[in-house]
Amino acid sequence: MPESRCWRTAAISIPAILTGLIPSGIAVLVLVGLAALARLARPTPPLDEAVALSLLGDDFPEVPIDRIWLAGDGSAALARSGARALYLFRLGDAWVARDLAWTDAADAPVRDGRLHLRLAGVSPRLARPVLAGWPPEPA
Amino acid sequence: MLEAPFDPVKLAVPFFILAILLEIGLGRLRLAKAEYEARDTLASLAMGLLRGVPALLTAGLVFAATVWAWEHRVFTVPFTAWWGWVAIFFLEDLTYYGFHRLSHERRLWWAAHVNHHSSQHYNLSTALRQTWTGGLVGTWILWLPLAFLGFSPAQIFIQQGISLVYQFWIHTEAVGRMPAWFEAVFNTPSHHRVHHARNPRYLDRNYAGILIIWDKLFGTFQAELDAEKPRYGLIRNLGSFNILTVAFHEWIAIARDLASARSLREVGGYLFGPPGWSPDGSRDTSKSLRARWAARQATASTPAE
Repeated sequence: MPESRCWRTAAISIPAILTGLIPSGIAVLVLVGLAALARLARPTPPLDEAVALSLLGDDFPEVPIDRIWLAGDGSAALARSGARALYLFRLGDAWVARDLAWTDAADAPVRDGRLHLRLAGVSPRLARPVLAGWPPEPA
Repeated sequence: MLEAPFDPVKLAVPFFILAILLEIGLGRLRLAKAEYEARDTLASLAMGLLRGVPALLTAGLVFAATVWAWEHRVFTVPFTAWWGWVAIFFLEDLTYYGFHRLSHERRLWWAAHVNHHSSQHYNLSTALRQTWTGGLVGTWILWLPLAFLGFSPAQIFIQQGISLVYQFWIHTEAVGRMPAWFEAVFNTPSHHRVHHARNPRYLDRNYAGILIIWDKLFGTFQAELDAEKPRYGLIRNLGSFNILTVAFHEWIAIARDLASARSLREVGGYLFGPPGWSPDGSRDTSKSLRARWAARQATASTPAE
């Protein structure tokens, strides 16, 4: 889809744009409301190990998984692959994956049962899953 | 002619709304595939709604540059000449192909375009997930040769609008495949699903605007395969529906990389290298992902000895 390259906007005043935004904004809210009411989101049942491994395999196809920990509510998973940790979490009706150094994951603090995991990338910077069986026993 | 007598995009807005309503309705009735997540839809539509505000920053410059180019034109293409519209249809679409390819293959321009690909959904609302920073990276310069050639600013503006309106309807899973002759010539939902997919096979393919012939001509065409459903989004998907994150996440990532750069070569690589470029090659680019995927395919198809 092309970006806006509208030189006509040079002649449009800012108040006129704001006036135009109001009805458009209302239309957007109506469409979003209808989209929500229609319940067209993908089913994202709680993760089990097989599904988590499959989803991680999409993002990290050549990475063998040594061990995986699942969040109690099935909304996230943390896996170890050698010196790497792979983190998977639900966002809306989709899944998002991140990777970080295993040492960063293993050393991350646990507060009130939640692992406080610092992630690379712009967003989110912090994940706080409650992982079953965490922390791993020292080797 | 400087002032366009009409704006195809404004005229099409009611069609955009009705088409999204239709897609949602067909999805609800299970008559067509349509997946919507409310926050994702809100992010997409809000990006489209607010795109005009940052565009104001550069609109004057774009207008002035285009008028200047037209005033120094080589030929004069009459606004009402039918052949002029035929010519600009092809030339603008070729320009769009170049712009779109640049926007995927070089990181500075990818930073402006990436938001359009940041949804893990592929529906008509995704079409409206428009850039906020395109004007700042100067992609409009690519259209100036049309004005130098003699097409008026108004004619270029209208043809760009026609292209944008055309590309709206191809952002859908509700349409399977069009008739073969249409698929052979035009960009279609099937071709554009490939473009939005993050499967290695589909990365950096099908840059077309209206005509798919450019991808076939320049070797970037990939047909959608029934055996490999597209997985939409980015190599590393966004973890947020915040529209500021959607609009600026790659710019923030570039700023971080530049802050860590140790030489001019690294600065150049981070800005003008392919998305994913890194000094030590430790990050993935589309090329490296495709190469590893191809190697895996070759290994899988090699009979065991």
